[in-house]
Amino acid sequence: MSTPLFPPLPDSPEEREALAAEYVLGTLEAREATMVRAAMESDAAFRAVVLMWEARLAPLARAIPEAEPPAGLLARIEARLDDLPAPLPAPRGASLRVWKGWAVASTAIAAGLAAFLILRPAPEPAEPRFVAVLQQDQAAPAWVVEATREGGIMLAGAVNPRPRDEGRVLQLWGLYQGESQPVSLGLVPPDGRLAVDPRVMPPREGMLIEISLEPPGGSPIGRPTGPVLFIGRLERVN
Amino acid sequence: MMERPADTTGDHASLLAAIARGEREALRRLYAAESRRLYGIALAILRDPAAAADAVQDAFLRIWSRAGTYDATRGEPRTWLAAIARHVALDAARARGRETPTDDPALGDRPVEEDPVSRLDDAADAARLRACLEGLPEKNRRSIVLAFVDGFSHSQVAARLELPVGTVKAWIRRGLASLRECLAS
Repeated sequence: MSTPLFPPLPDSPEEREALAAEYVLGTLEAREATMVRAAMESDAAFRAVVLMWEARLAPLARAIPEAEPPAGLLARIEARLDDLPAPLPAPRGASLRVWKGWAVASTAIAAGLAAFLILRPAPEPAEPRFVAVLQQDQAAPAWVVEATREGGIMLAGAVNPRPRDEGRVLQLWGLYQGESQPVSLGLVPPDGRLAVDPRVMPPREGMLIEISLEPPGGSPIGRPTGPVLFIGRLERVN
Repeated sequence: MMERPADTTGDHASLLAAIARGEREALRRLYAAESRRLYGIALAILRDPAAAADAVQDAFLRIWSRAGTYDATRGEPRTWLAAIARHVALDAARARGRETPTDDPALGDRPVEEDPVSRLDDAADAARLRACLEGLPEKNRRSIVLAFVDGFSHSQVAARLELPVGTVKAWIRRGLASLRECLAS
């Protein structure tokens, strides 16, 4: 079944309601679930619909029998806390936490790479710097994007690249919060690195960055035609 | 801080606030209070102790990172925690390839719990949900429970109930819509 991924949400309230309900129920496929999560971040009304469903079905979650987790699990969790990137001295706690959420959800390698990008000395201390980790789910390879206002958006590569489909290309897109028309940032070259001229689309905190699968030469219609394989939100890190 | 009637809500909300400040002792206390419940949720979906433990680990790391985004207006803390564990476990089930319809041991080595509806507690929201679930046709109710509790995909529900996938999709959709109507009345 092909799912319309852009615009990410259906227009009709009934369809949106059904999507939210099936997300909470758990029957959506990975790609659809990813899009629901992205939509929840940017659309407060839709987020409320999802949270209503979490509350409606919550008693059923309470009815699931408890079970004893293996001994040592807490120690494992605490050891992993040590692996997380050390908190930055910068006061922008909220956006850093959001970023850490993405990093934790991605592979440990992605977290390490993003930490490297963040801990690397900034070219100009006062300049705001942004990072996004693009992913589909925990099993899929992640991509890292970094950005500054001066240098623009830069796709820094895939953490765990996998073979591409023959005859298809990957296309990078940006979408500002509250807007519905994504902007093409170009085709992803084989080495996975792409610097976008800041005049094409200046980076903005909270914007979505996506990679879609497209026919050779890229989407013919100026917005993604194929599935959105990876998606992430640009967060400020300093 | 909002006043709330529920027993552990205040405790959990203040634990989450402390976790957001980076206090590990608060995470340990939340783990002591919630790990059995969250592990039970993950185990029901993954039916594999090692995979369920990994999911609980990911859930607590996510709770650690995202505690600062918890907002009491977005729902009860225990609902928020259960949702994190469920969605982490569902992601793991998706990654494992659950779209393959199968009813064989690849589903895991634990039996699927047949009727959690009978174990719903006596809180008002649970009583309403039980009444509404019991008002659904049998197969609609079983489909919804197999999906929510056991993390079954449409194809897996279809294999379990020996029905075409399209029928299961339509029933789940209709069942959820009836449930919403029933709970609103």
